[in-house]
Amino acid sequence: MADEQQVIEKPEPHEILAKGYTFGTITDQIAAVVLTKRTPLLWIVGIGTGFALLNLLLLSATLLFAKGVGIWGIRTPVMWGFAITNFVWWIGIGHAGTLISAILLLLNQKWRNSINRFAEAMTLFAVACAGMFPLLHMGRPWLFYWLFPYPNSTTVQPNFRSPLVWDVFAVSTYATVSALFWFVGLIPDLGTLRDRAKNSFAKYAYGMLAMGWRGSARHWSVYETATLLLAGMSTPLVLSVHTVVSFDFTIAIVPGWHSTFFPPYFVAGAIYSGFAMVLALAIPLRASYGLEGIITARHLDNCAKVMLATGMIVAYAYIMEVFMSWYSGSVYEQQAFWNRMTGPYSTQYWFLVTCNIVSPNLLWFKSFRSKPALLFLSSIIVLIGMWLERYMIIVSSLAQDYVPSSWSLFHATRWDWATYWGTIGLFLFLFFLFVRLLPMISIFEVRTLLPQAKVRQEVKR
Amino acid sequence: MTGQALDFNPSTELRTSLRQSRARAGIIGLIGVLALAAGAFTARDQFFRSYLWSYIFVLGITAGSLSWLMLQYLTGGAWGVVIRRPAEAAVRTFPLLALLFIPIALGTSSLYSWTQPTTDATLLVKQARYLNVPFFLVRAAVFFAGWIFLSWFLNRWSAREDREGPVPANSRMAAISGPGLIFWAFSVTFMSIDWVMSLSPHWFSTMFGLLFVIGQGLSGMAFLVTVLVFLSNFRPMSEVLTPRHLHDLGKFLLATVMVWAYFAFSQFLIIWAGNLPEEIPWYVERLRGGWQYVALLLVFGHFALPFALLLSRDLKRNFKLLASIAVFILCMRVVDIYWMVTPDSSKGSLSVSWLDLAGPLGLGGIWLAYFLIQLEKRPLMPLNEMELAEALEHGRE
Repeated sequence: MADEQQVIEKPEPHEILAKGYTFGTITDQIAAVVLTKRTPLLWIVGIGTGFALLNLLLLSATLLFAKGVGIWGIRTPVMWGFAITNFVWWIGIGHAGTLISAILLLLNQKWRNSINRFAEAMTLFAVACAGMFPLLHMGRPWLFYWLFPYPNSTTVQPNFRSPLVWDVFAVSTYATVSALFWFVGLIPDLGTLRDRAKNSFAKYAYGMLAMGWRGSARHWSVYETATLLLAGMSTPLVLSVHTVVSFDFTIAIVPGWHSTFFPPYFVAGAIYSGFAMVLALAIPLRASYGLEGIITARHLDNCAKVMLATGMIVAYAYIMEVFMSWYSGSVYEQQAFWNRMTGPYSTQYWFLVTCNIVSPNLLWFKSFRSKPALLFLSSIIVLIGMWLERYMIIVSSLAQDYVPSSWSLFHATRWDWATYWGTIGLFLFLFFLFVRLLPMISIFEVRTLLPQAKVRQEVKR
Repeated sequence: MTGQALDFNPSTELRTSLRQSRARAGIIGLIGVLALAAGAFTARDQFFRSYLWSYIFVLGITAGSLSWLMLQYLTGGAWGVVIRRPAEAAVRTFPLLALLFIPIALGTSSLYSWTQPTTDATLLVKQARYLNVPFFLVRAAVFFAGWIFLSWFLNRWSAREDREGPVPANSRMAAISGPGLIFWAFSVTFMSIDWVMSLSPHWFSTMFGLLFVIGQGLSGMAFLVTVLVFLSNFRPMSEVLTPRHLHDLGKFLLATVMVWAYFAFSQFLIIWAGNLPEEIPWYVERLRGGWQYVALLLVFGHFALPFALLLSRDLKRNFKLLASIAVFILCMRVVDIYWMVTPDSSKGSLSVSWLDLAGPLGLGGIWLAYFLIQLEKRPLMPLNEMELAEALEHGRE
């Protein structure tokens, strides 16, 4: 091929793939990330940090199992504390990956092809982090299987009217379908890596994982059907999982929790924080691996726009929540929000309002959206804000509910923080491991973005 | 095929047909309005009630069209180019709707119990700071000012684009549409609180505004689909519209139906599970004395049936069938609004008054006639839209 030598140009702002790529150079560049011995500094720093924090998780979990949940700051009435805050935060982050991989696929949004793979990996690892917290929070985690309605001799069954039981099903379904979708999506690329690997162990390992992929027309046909079916199955999960999570709060009648619009509000918040995480991962990765031609300014711009839109929905929710408590005339509702704004947690409240409502308004400006460093910063701010939002909802409502005589504040202990940072370590460790071992961008899907790939459709017509 | 080759002005046959429909709608509307006027003297309270919910239905179509008009400027896409002119015609009816609001403004004392003196402590506080007539009217004025402002600018710039050519106008429309959608969401939310939720002044639900946001979006899209299918019988739109355009709009109908069901069910489940004395009466009132059958009708007619039918690809690409579903959805919107507005005053049992028939026919007829006048005024496709050629090509796959 004559154009194999062509230079890859700097992509135009609106392009989803820089000019000058060919089928060969795309494969070369993405596969090289995995098959080379060289690793950029970012990777070493990233996995090093991840590994250090992962050990912190090991330490805090060991101590937790030895001593019990008393090492955390949870006391009556705030029994949910950090554990459930972190659970909701992590599971929310996962949602963006599913949205990108499933919903945008069904909506025929081509630009998703360049970011779906690592976003799905992000989903998987975020769900893994999220899943830990209810288990750790249980006190007797070895009895976790009691959550399932398995046939047992005690005839004790879970209470199906409790949304906490719905959560078990929602989250486990989500984890299963996400893992399947991710792995099925990887198969053609695993075949590519198998064929390209020089190292015989790598060849063998990728070969096993590729499950006999030969790239025949028949394989592709079956593959496309499977992808579409999995996308169809994942789509409702984007909504249902966080809806069920929001039911954990709304089904209870705690003031500040029992609000009817929590389901869409939680889903929007989840997608908001998820896209923030996508940006926080994509921006350093593309810089250090030189992938600006594949993850272009257009991708960052689109992600920022989704963040802006969902941020505005979250802002609507904050405003209406406060208005409705004022309108309701209910002393309990009013007290809950008055407490948030002026009470012991008011610092966190106003900080979260700044992070989640004020800061995303900068994204209205194209000049702001076109600067990766600023976008990175604003996505970190949103991640902090969304964590604080869950903290605020859980802690402030539980600490001061209907009966003032039972009010008591929550104070996080060092082990609360250690467990939280530990899961961040787990996430980073798994993610950088993934970056090193598997193609973080879908090779074959990016190849379909090439102008050359369009020929097939014309022939079909 | 390029945009210049086609004349997008309404053809002679279309004009004839539009005039016929307009006359029919106008006559039905006039009869309805006369009946309403008679009702205003004989059954005052019932008149206001019927007028209110009919008005909210018609307003929903218009405000819903405004939301799709602004959304398509932000997202782009062929679907937006084909619905643009009908949506613009629909939002040009806001001044008429502002005029038609006057009876409601005059009828607050009959419609809303919070206008009456009370000894109820909660209500007294509410009346003092939010639910009082002057503030109610100021808020209504703000909604209409905003809606008319948005529709006036969007129409003006779109007409200028036809005359002078593309680029600058389009980016200005996108710039106004972003903040415009935010205003729309808040105005519809507060409209629903003021005009509907405050009918039961003790009750409150944060989802209620969103139910109207999505309900109006659904009304708007169902109406636009109906109009497009009607237009597809005549030149020029018979040359433009293809199954693929309708397919896209059908997907929006499906998505909106699903979101409506999601919102409506979430609100129901949360209030049912909470079972709090200040919340549950709203549903208790709507699930007894015959109203429970209306609620069931909504479950099947507003969700299950259109959802199941719209899943079909062939059906979304069939003009006549898609239009039938759109009309059916509009009927269900009528039922939904009726079910939300009237039970509180129906004294525990379902009874349909003759004014409940005159209301939607009268207001709907007048509004439709005015809409058809507006529709005829401009070319049926934006002439200088940058994406015009692409939008025409889109249909040809």
